[in-house]
Amino acid sequence: MTTRSAVVRLTGEAKQWRERNQVENEYGAEPGRSVEHAAPPEVTLANLEDPLLETMDPESGRPKHVIECRGLSLSFGQSRILSEVSVKFQRGTITALIGPTGSGKSTFLRTLNRMNDKVRDFHHEGAVHLNGDDIWSSAQNLLSLRRRVGMLFQRPNPFPMSIKDNVVAGVKAHRIAKGKQLDVVAEQRLIEVGLWEAVRDRLDDSPFRLSGGQQQLLCLARALATGPEVLLLDEPTSALDPVSTEFVEALLRGLAPALSMVVVTHNLGQARRISHNTMFLYGGRLVEHGPTASLFEHPFDPQTERYVSGRMG
Amino acid sequence: MTVVGGDAGGLSASPPPNSVSRLVGSGRADDASRSPGRSGLFRGAARVAATLPLLALAGTITILTVKALPSIRVNGLHFLTGSAWKPGSTYGATVRTNGVEHPLGASYGIWPLIVGTLQTSAIAVVLAVPISIGAAFALTERMPTWLSRPLSLAVEILAGIPSVILGLWGVLTLGPFLAQHVYPLVADHVPDVPVLRYFRGPTGHGEGLATSGLVLTLMIVPIITATTRDLFRQVPTLPKEGATALGMTDAETARRVTVPWVRTGIVGATVLGLGRALGETIAVAMISGAALNSVSANIYGTMGTIAAAIVTQLDSAYTDGTGFAISALAEAALVLAVITVGVNLIARLVISRSGRLTAPVGRSG
Repeated sequence: MTTRSAVVRLTGEAKQWRERNQVENEYGAEPGRSVEHAAPPEVTLANLEDPLLETMDPESGRPKHVIECRGLSLSFGQSRILSEVSVKFQRGTITALIGPTGSGKSTFLRTLNRMNDKVRDFHHEGAVHLNGDDIWSSAQNLLSLRRRVGMLFQRPNPFPMSIKDNVVAGVKAHRIAKGKQLDVVAEQRLIEVGLWEAVRDRLDDSPFRLSGGQQQLLCLARALATGPEVLLLDEPTSALDPVSTEFVEALLRGLAPALSMVVVTHNLGQARRISHNTMFLYGGRLVEHGPTASLFEHPFDPQTERYVSGRMG
Repeated sequence: MTVVGGDAGGLSASPPPNSVSRLVGSGRADDASRSPGRSGLFRGAARVAATLPLLALAGTITILTVKALPSIRVNGLHFLTGSAWKPGSTYGATVRTNGVEHPLGASYGIWPLIVGTLQTSAIAVVLAVPISIGAAFALTERMPTWLSRPLSLAVEILAGIPSVILGLWGVLTLGPFLAQHVYPLVADHVPDVPVLRYFRGPTGHGEGLATSGLVLTLMIVPIITATTRDLFRQVPTLPKEGATALGMTDAETARRVTVPWVRTGIVGATVLGLGRALGETIAVAMISGAALNSVSANIYGTMGTIAAAIVTQLDSAYTDGTGFAISALAEAALVLAVITVGVNLIARLVISRSGRLTAPVGRSG
């Protein structure tokens, strides 16, 4: 293992990560509430024995992988949706989740921010760690977990409030900023998703008059506003036209080094275009997981080969 | 093979005798029966049906106005601002004022009744709206089906309970109970400051403003709850999930997404309930204490509403041979109608203002 000084040395990537979190602080974040996730897990002699430490990135002092699932099995009542999935998501990358309908992609995705917890008869086995924190541990506040793990849905789902209020809805809920700071957050996030010019003169208008693509961008801005560590995307462009899809894809690629993303998609072309890594789920099992290019070009598993070549629905 | 039935449209060219073209043929016959004349008839019927409510409203207001004219001529504006309900002497000679014959000393002013009507309705709406939204939310989002289904049914049954039953219960049971155990407690503990001062003072025997307002609340809660519940069921899942995924609590999701999503409909449901409260007659007549001539000094005092006064005064009004008392009741009814229509229009104005950011139900997600 390394010395402590090495742990706190910042790499380029970690710097970006720091900067993102500092920007949040400039909004006037409550120290207790928003910075807790930003602080890297402290390395002390006491936790040197922690097996997690083996997966630590000595450069940044954080786990190498932003999300790590170990032996994750999910079921609703008697029907098992996911079996024994162990997977690690690399920090700062986009991971595509592909597989036919019913393969457990969405259930898996919705487990990462514990959206399934409310579903009746939902059971999970195994562990999921977000930056080293067990998402189901009693110390993990559910609400702040969802601030750390943002989500974008199949169709745009703006709230019935003004465009500006939509962007800052999460920021307000988590009391990350207030008053005039909210305007700053709204502007910054809308610029980030390329929507600012289109809506700057109608921030107080209804979001429902925006086009579908613009609404989805608004939802993306809303998800980014709380400064998540991971963004989950559940077929984010399935309701959008090709031009909007292209725009959103470019945007997601641009977000990548600073933000880790997991994208469920039925569109194999999209998986190839935007993701660094691809996971192929089939029948609730993780069949193959690897760099996107090699998974598509030289799949190891015959099932993957059949799916990516379009011979399996 | 002959062509059988179905195409009794009297087509000049009968279809060739094989099964396939028989189907085609009957299709053509159906087309023929869909003549433009028929759809014209339908359109006409629809137009009549659509204008009927408007005609009924206009007709009612017109007739009321005609009937009320004598009272309007004699009482003038005093009818709205005065607080005397005096039928005058029905035995003595009649006199003429502005060409209208009426009993000596007859004078009508319904200010206390207008105030009473608005007060009871305001109490009912202020209490019922939050209760109803909470109940509707609990029914749709919080309870398992085995519990929410019977409760939902109970709400609908409660909405259909005849008001005379609730009135009787109010005057025999609820009123005395409140007057004995609740009102004195409130009256003694409320500080002597403006507004709250209205809750102090003598608490009476349970007949009056507070009890009337509470019974009205009970009457309109089921109406608003049932409507709001149906509205909540139509809120799409995706925005609610979006709020949850953003880290909002269930309460925040309800307050910031679910309720605003159907805000317009909730205002509509409230107007529906308010209409019922404004017009509720028999229960209030039983519970209000039927004070026609004074505004209650505090929230417990006896009072009257326009609707209740009309029903309680009708009998004695018939004893007025000049018909002046009936005319006064007609004018009171006219005022009530105007208040109801006015409240509706105001609510619609509110909807058009606040509905700006509301998503139409069924859209987007």
